[in-house]
Amino acid sequence: MNRCLRSICWLGCLALLVAGCDFQTPQFHLNMVQMLSDATPTPEPYQEQIADVLGGMFGTPDEPFVLPETGLDMRRLKMAAGPAWTDDKGAAFGLYRLHCSHCHGIDGDGQGPTALFLNPYPRDYRQGVYKFKSTYNPAKPTDEDLHRVLVNGIPGSAMPSFSLLASAEIEALVEYVKYLSMRGQMETALTNYVYNDLGEEEVTDENGDPVLDEEGEPKMKLIPLDPENDEEQRAAITEILAEIVEGWNEVNEQIIVPEEGAIPTDIHDKEAFAASAAKGRELFYGARANCMKCHGPTGLGDGQQDDYDIWNKAHLQFLDSVADDSGDPQFAREREEVAASLFPVRNAIPRNLRLGVFRGGNRRIDLFWRIYAGIAGTPMPGSGPASPGAQGTLTEEEMWNIVDYVLSLPYEAASQPQKALPINTELVN
Amino acid sequence: MMVEQVTHVQTKLYFRYAGAAMLMGLMLMGCRRVTDLGPVANAAAAAKAREALLGDSTGGEGGATVVTGTGWATLKGKFVFDGNPPTMPPYNVNKDMAACTINGKAPLQQTLLVDSATKGIANVAIFVRKASRVHESAQPKGEQVLFDQKECVFLTHVFPFVLGNTMDIKNSDPVGHNTNIEGKNSFNQTIPVGETIAFKPQKEEAVPVSVRCSIHPWMLAYFLPRENGYVAVTTEEGSFEIANLPAGEDLEFQVWHESAAGPGSSLVLATPEAKELKWSKKGRFNVKLGEDEVKELNLTVPSAAFGL
Repeated sequence: MNRCLRSICWLGCLALLVAGCDFQTPQFHLNMVQMLSDATPTPEPYQEQIADVLGGMFGTPDEPFVLPETGLDMRRLKMAAGPAWTDDKGAAFGLYRLHCSHCHGIDGDGQGPTALFLNPYPRDYRQGVYKFKSTYNPAKPTDEDLHRVLVNGIPGSAMPSFSLLASAEIEALVEYVKYLSMRGQMETALTNYVYNDLGEEEVTDENGDPVLDEEGEPKMKLIPLDPENDEEQRAAITEILAEIVEGWNEVNEQIIVPEEGAIPTDIHDKEAFAASAAKGRELFYGARANCMKCHGPTGLGDGQQDDYDIWNKAHLQFLDSVADDSGDPQFAREREEVAASLFPVRNAIPRNLRLGVFRGGNRRIDLFWRIYAGIAGTPMPGSGPASPGAQGTLTEEEMWNIVDYVLSLPYEAASQPQKALPINTELVN
Repeated sequence: MMVEQVTHVQTKLYFRYAGAAMLMGLMLMGCRRVTDLGPVANAAAAAKAREALLGDSTGGEGGATVVTGTGWATLKGKFVFDGNPPTMPPYNVNKDMAACTINGKAPLQQTLLVDSATKGIANVAIFVRKASRVHESAQPKGEQVLFDQKECVFLTHVFPFVLGNTMDIKNSDPVGHNTNIEGKNSFNQTIPVGETIAFKPQKEEAVPVSVRCSIHPWMLAYFLPRENGYVAVTTEEGSFEIANLPAGEDLEFQVWHESAAGPGSSLVLATPEAKELKWSKKGRFNVKLGEDEVKELNLTVPSAAFGL
């Protein structure tokens, strides 16, 4: 018994030792890939100032905050943020930490502790780009789209269904995901703003003449990011935020609503469905819709495999630029450290359509949206108009034909079965 | 016998504790990520920033009044390569060989094109970052401009564009393409054989963004949408001309080339002529033009500017 107790004590001590640094209040971190990227190299003082301004605009993981312009609901954000706990009436708080952060990360960067073990990796919300939605390719998702993903999960991925949560809890999480996206977009926009519009200026004396250093070159100093004391910067930041918020507010004008007349069949009319699917098959393999080029001649997803989604591409570009670093050794060291922290880059593999598992949902409308708008952030192109009133590649009826073929594809015998290439191997390059 | 068994059980228990401890350690370590690098917000500074942004959200025009001149002027010039220009390898064409090669030969890459006779550098983008006035000729006219692809190559490698115009994305190949434009305008649509799809980009970019085809991943071009026509891309001989620029005020130009070694592919020059223009580490220079002036810049670009 004594021994047992002693062991437990040892265990406790060990756990405390290991845990030591881990029980701090969670903080939001900067997107270091962008801070140290080749396109917007950001000196450390700027990194600190960006973190401060973001802290002012969005608060912390435990105490979120939003400016009224965002239109986000503080009550919902408070339900979703902070550590997980339940009040005496049984209302749950800290929902994001409880249900999401282990994969999507405290920052929503898709790099939570379990993320590395998942394929595909969890979504990085910070670009504000979402795949499974009812809107045109460049548009944000609607609240309903995010709601649907939370309730249904993403079949074929590690994203589970949260349909057991109360609807108020789902709504709180939708709001929090939007909050993390806006925060991430703001961070990117601020970094671009600092790089493009601030930067270095010449130090001048009281007469306005440049001060020279020992080598006779004008002395330079960084123009600080300081909205408190700089009215112009304050206006610029307000404008940047307005632009980001506008993207989220205009989604209702960006929803793809299919024309009634273009829906060719009633799914229960077997003959009509078969005729539609047959037309879809022609299109799938034809040069106009061109689905076969990527999804492969058997629909196994074994066509084009050399491309990347934007999330992996950003990391790939960063790693490439780190590989040929020749500049400042301190900067190079920091970049190497960040590069070492990234997950292995994976290429975007077209979906195997014979599994009958469709990530964005298996309703006809879900597939229609995928074919119409493509899948934002990925190589999957759209065949419908790129925006309201624009010109599409295929007619709506043709896209419905493809939907029907894709739905029937898992049941079609592969006449010349081909082995799909193993996912993410050297072979595909 | 009995004693032995007890010891055996205890040993097993120790193993179990050790295992549990290791597991717990690993689990706890899992919470700390290596990506937790870089600074975090300082609470006091964040509070101040918040107060400032909450206080007066009317925006306003910013304090200083901008000095604007009168009349118009022209800037033209030439980018000349100084050194041994690299030879371009062929694209890695690995499919649709019949359509994407000419007599079985893949087209050459366009990452750094230097004219053999004049040493002029093609595909340098040069544009005004901000203009207080825009001449009528540089305003969008609602035109349709062609962006074509043939033999699995985008025919305009660096494509300048004035917002308000329409981009006609054409596929002159016998194979299907998809045109995937990155950045704020985010366009990705299939372009069938022989067809043209109209696209109206809405947003300006600070530097060119990439255009690719996922079906033929070697295909690469750059797209530069700007709010006004003060944008040029150098010709095969390396020359450019931007007319009707606002005279009598400071103009800041951005210079970009896909292979330039500067941040975000900006072309950074440190030659004496560049120093006079206050050429910055971000590939920008300043010019103030007189009314009706035609200024000519002949810029020598050492191979080091491309990291060669």
